[in-house]
Amino acid sequence: MTTLLEARGVTKHFGGVAAVQKVDLSIGEGEMVGLIGPNGAGKTTFINLITGMEPLTSGSVTFRGDEITHRASYRIGRMGIARTFQVVKPFRNLSVQQNVAVGAMFGAGGAHRSSKEAFVKAAQVLEFVGMGDKLERGADQLTLPDLKRLELAKALAMEPKLLLLDEVMAGLNTREIEDAMELIRKVNANGVTVLVIEHVMKAIMGLSQRVVVLHYGQKIAEGAPQAVVSDRKVIEAYLGEKYAKRVSSMRVADAAAIKSRGSDAEN
Amino acid sequence: MTLDQFLSIVPQSIVNGLMLGGTLSLVALGFSIVWGILNIINLAHGAFVMLSAYFAYFMFTGFGIDPFLSIAPAMLIFFVFGYVIQRYIINNVIRAPLLVTFLLTFGLEIIFVNVALNRFGGDYRSITTAYSGIGFFIGDVRVPYIKLAALLISLLIAGALHLFLSRTRTGNAIRAVGMDIDAAKLCGVKIGQTYAITYGIGAALAAAAGVLIGMSFTITPDMGGAFNLRSFVIVVLGGLGSVPGAVLGGLIFGMVDVFAGVLVPGLKDAIAFAMLVLVLIVRPQGILGKAFYK
Amino acid sequence: MSATEQPAQVPAAKPSTVLARPIASRRNLIVRGIVALALVLLLVFPFLDFVSGALIRTVTVVVMAAALAQAWNLIGGYTGYPAFGNVAFFGAGGYATAILMAKMKVDFLPAVLAGGIVAALYATLLGFPVLRLKGHYFSIATLGIAEATREVVANWDTLTGGGSGITLPISPLRPQQFNQFMYFAMLAVFVGSVVLTYFITRSKLGYGMVAIREDEDAAKSLGINTTQFKVAAFALSALITGLVGGVYAYWNSSLIPEDAFNLDYTLRAILITIIGGPGSLFGPALGAIAFEFLRNFLWDRFPGLQFTFLGVMMVLTIIFMPKGVMEFLTGRRRFTPRDLLQYVRDHRVS
Repeated sequence: MTTLLEARGVTKHFGGVAAVQKVDLSIGEGEMVGLIGPNGAGKTTFINLITGMEPLTSGSVTFRGDEITHRASYRIGRMGIARTFQVVKPFRNLSVQQNVAVGAMFGAGGAHRSSKEAFVKAAQVLEFVGMGDKLERGADQLTLPDLKRLELAKALAMEPKLLLLDEVMAGLNTREIEDAMELIRKVNANGVTVLVIEHVMKAIMGLSQRVVVLHYGQKIAEGAPQAVVSDRKVIEAYLGEKYAKRVSSMRVADAAAIKSRGSDAEN
Repeated sequence: MTLDQFLSIVPQSIVNGLMLGGTLSLVALGFSIVWGILNIINLAHGAFVMLSAYFAYFMFTGFGIDPFLSIAPAMLIFFVFGYVIQRYIINNVIRAPLLVTFLLTFGLEIIFVNVALNRFGGDYRSITTAYSGIGFFIGDVRVPYIKLAALLISLLIAGALHLFLSRTRTGNAIRAVGMDIDAAKLCGVKIGQTYAITYGIGAALAAAAGVLIGMSFTITPDMGGAFNLRSFVIVVLGGLGSVPGAVLGGLIFGMVDVFAGVLVPGLKDAIAFAMLVLVLIVRPQGILGKAFYK
Repeated sequence: MSATEQPAQVPAAKPSTVLARPIASRRNLIVRGIVALALVLLLVFPFLDFVSGALIRTVTVVVMAAALAQAWNLIGGYTGYPAFGNVAFFGAGGYATAILMAKMKVDFLPAVLAGGIVAALYATLLGFPVLRLKGHYFSIATLGIAEATREVVANWDTLTGGGSGITLPISPLRPQQFNQFMYFAMLAVFVGSVVLTYFITRSKLGYGMVAIREDEDAAKSLGINTTQFKVAAFALSALITGLVGGVYAYWNSSLIPEDAFNLDYTLRAILITIIGGPGSLFGPALGAIAFEFLRNFLWDRFPGLQFTFLGVMMVLTIIFMPKGVMEFLTGRRRFTPRDLLQYVRDHRVS
């Protein structure tokens, strides 16, 4: 299996905080990899780093053998890496078809395509994701499941080699999640390599051939789905999360109390 | 200009710059608090400065009231004026896109300026008190009493604002709204009212500055516009949401303005703009960084 | 053929404009008819007997306003960057034309074209730093550009004549011919700007611009070179603005910094675009007609209060219809008093 994406020692500091720390990740062509981790583990930041939305503090990323570490994000998109956004980013004043056509115009397959041809491509992609009947609908009139589908359709219209899905199932019900899983499987079967970030464990377990776990910005486990979920460190990270949440909420309360005392003292 | 000539005017320019900068920081402070809390660029701000200068002028010429005594009533009147404008006009579009609020305050500015032009005419006016033009010397450096007083009053008001924001209930509410509007709402802060109070404070600060400016500069209906761009630059310079930042930014700006006036007369706005671009590129968070009126 | 018989796989490509959602074809036909009629009227009317020079000049003013608004529409309406310094390009184009004609004896046409190019180059140069800024910062920075440019021009005596201005060669045409000539020059720029905008809205550039307006991060991740597109939109906006400035300079036969860099031009362009509907092809033209009509109507009756009315119009427009009459015409929003109040309620905080 040839390597498609190779991330080495990827690190991002925000001020003094390390959001992502020395993460290595290698994804082979045609793979479907799951990326999980508690809230704030740095998953979205990691995707932002790979796609050039934020600059890396250190480390390197190569895609199909090309170094893309400091490349502009639009160039990375054109090279064949597409992503969806956890908080959906539809072009609200455009129709569904126009939204997707933009992806078809500027993505990896966009260079040889006129804007008219992009509309044909957009219609095909929308048919594929099951929105063929909503081409003309305004993006501001879609339900959440459709908005998530639209995100996916925009990314797919770019004809990517690698698709990064950032929580496309969050907020969906069981039925919708199954539909989405089916769709992602179809995408993968068409030869697109997929990295899935998800909180929905059922989806991760059902989709991924391999799972990577981030915790406080570090990779703490990697392997087959079953092996990873029974890993002690992973269980701790997740169970610990609840505990940590309680602690952090106490901390916030403490901090507030200290602060108010502090400002009293100033008086 | 030779180097010797330039050096000989440096001390006087520094003093002039400080005195100008003090008043400018007062103007910028009002601009800053409205921007920081309401997230609108209040282009009517300069018009408040102008209207207040006229207020001081008419109080002085009409009733013989010393301009310094006009500061407090001017602040009160403009607080109410600002409160009403925010509450009943700007509030209607406060959540609309930025271009909308920007244009709305621009429209208000145009109205104020032209009403002033209509009522007061375009004549140049100035307030000439018994102590106008009098000052003392430190060595070769002349210090006019009025400008020194303006600097001190500006700093005093800035200090008072700082205390108000950090020590009073209303001040805390204002800061809370600026930091996190949803959290503030949950805590029972009335957003609409807080916005109106904040805008009123902004207008009151412009009014105080307007009286001081009216005492040492000529008063015309279009005198206010220049203060908007300057205030913006000062706020960017010092960092949005910081009282000390606005004061520091104002003093620096005053200094640069005076020296630019000496070295490249006629290009003051160009210098201000160059400063703005420079700061935005080099240090977008301002000299003192983002603070939020802590 | 009924709709159900169409193959589901490959629906016809929709050559729709970027903004207005696909309009029914009958409506399209009507629009085309109106546009054709308007164009014929615009081409013929200056030659009619009863048309006075004053009327031609008035219409020229409207056409000029529409062209300036159409130019602003590219950067402010389609790309969503609220530029407040477009008058810098008006002045730059005007002064370039004036200097070429007055000092280098260049003919009108090449001088105006050069004026447009100078403005576009100036915008390109400024665009790279300034278009990195967003929101308030961008607006004020562009405002600063206009003021700074005015000061530089006012102080560059040897080239621009400084504060006392520059005088252009007098046209050899008779007054009525001159009126007609200037009218057609302005009309050419305006029609050119509409045609340019039309092609942009169907091109990748247009879709990229709108994508940037809607969500710049999403646009980037979809492969759009946002910097390049923003600068292109800014430069094209400046090109049109500069051409208008050049034509205006010759029409006015002299140029002073206070007029050539008067913020009023920018404000009117923005206001007209908003009245007409930002990001729409014919919005600026409709807005210009509505605005100039209202202006003339009010100003005749209330001389001296003209600018106050400009302010009042701005305030009312902004509060009640920030998306303009175009939205009304396309049926996307109703304009009953109740709808207007609802809009206000939606954007208020209590």
